[in-house]
Amino acid sequence: MKDTLGKFVSQNREAFDDQEPPESVWRSIDALLPLQRQRFLGSPMVRWRAAAVLFFVVSVYLFVTHNTGITHRGETARLQKDFTDLDSFYSSQITEKMRLINDYDEVGENEQFTQDFQKLDAMYQVLREEMKNNPSEEVKDALILNLLVRVDLLNQQLKKLEDSRKGWKIKKWEDSKI
Amino acid sequence: MYNIAYRIVGSTEEAQDVVQEAFVSAFKNLVHYRGDSTFGAWLKRIVVNKAINQIKKRRTERLPEDDRWDVKDEEPVDELEKFPFTVEKVKSSIRLLPEGYRLVLTLYLMEGYDHSEIAEILGITESTSKSQFNRSKKKLIELLKSKN
Repeated sequence: MKDTLGKFVSQNREAFDDQEPPESVWRSIDALLPLQRQRFLGSPMVRWRAAAVLFFVVSVYLFVTHNTGITHRGETARLQKDFTDLDSFYSSQITEKMRLINDYDEVGENEQFTQDFQKLDAMYQVLREEMKNNPSEEVKDALILNLLVRVDLLNQQLKKLEDSRKGWKIKKWEDSKI
Repeated sequence: MYNIAYRIVGSTEEAQDVVQEAFVSAFKNLVHYRGDSTFGAWLKRIVVNKAINQIKKRRTERLPEDDRWDVKDEEPVDELEKFPFTVEKVKSSIRLLPEGYRLVLTLYLMEGYDHSEIAEILGITESTSKSQFNRSKKKLIELLKSKN
């Protein structure tokens, strides 16, 4: 069965997204969030680069201004336990996704991704050290956000590689028909 | 995200509320993002769920809720050889669809969810989603033809 409607929609998909929310919506969101400064503009990669930069700035801020180490031993142990559990969960995801990306063997095209990822990784190491010496909720949150941003960066990269491979397969199939 | 909300709720004011609520909720629940999908897909799902909740609040017309309403694809949709309609016409015709039809059609055609995901989002069966989609597509083509 011919899916003319489906084809039409997919060919003109962007034209269907023509609504813009008024500025007041972003102002309301901004007012309701405890910490939110980024603008949601541009392509997903631009947004995530912005998120990575924002994360970097927040991490540095927390690192520099953090003077209130938690002295209570029980609380410290809880924080470290919470973090260790989450760290091991996300780190295993990161390792697995990195392995999948490396399988694609197209590293040369991913310079920006590699740079972003290395910056986040470097900040993660600094924060992790801080978590050992002066554990606090803020440092734990910054570490988890770092892991989340990296997981998402990897997901974006995997999707990009998958799409490019699909495109390559279709082209190869079309060429074989000629 | 605003466009997704607008397509589901069908009004600018409600779409604004949905986006606001969804973004704040996503931010507050960031820790629940498990990395199984992309962050965009996770956020989109929150927007979709908030939008569905919004229309449930004001709903008078309901989607079929059980298999009694499941209908086999009784007749094939009148497929067109060519598609002589504009994006604007398709958009305005989608807005004229009954709410249940519009939801399934929008989630499938515009947002790219498959029928098992739509079934989960709307709390219906997968076969209901499929039959609703076929009927909504048929209705949409009728509306487009009548407008021409």
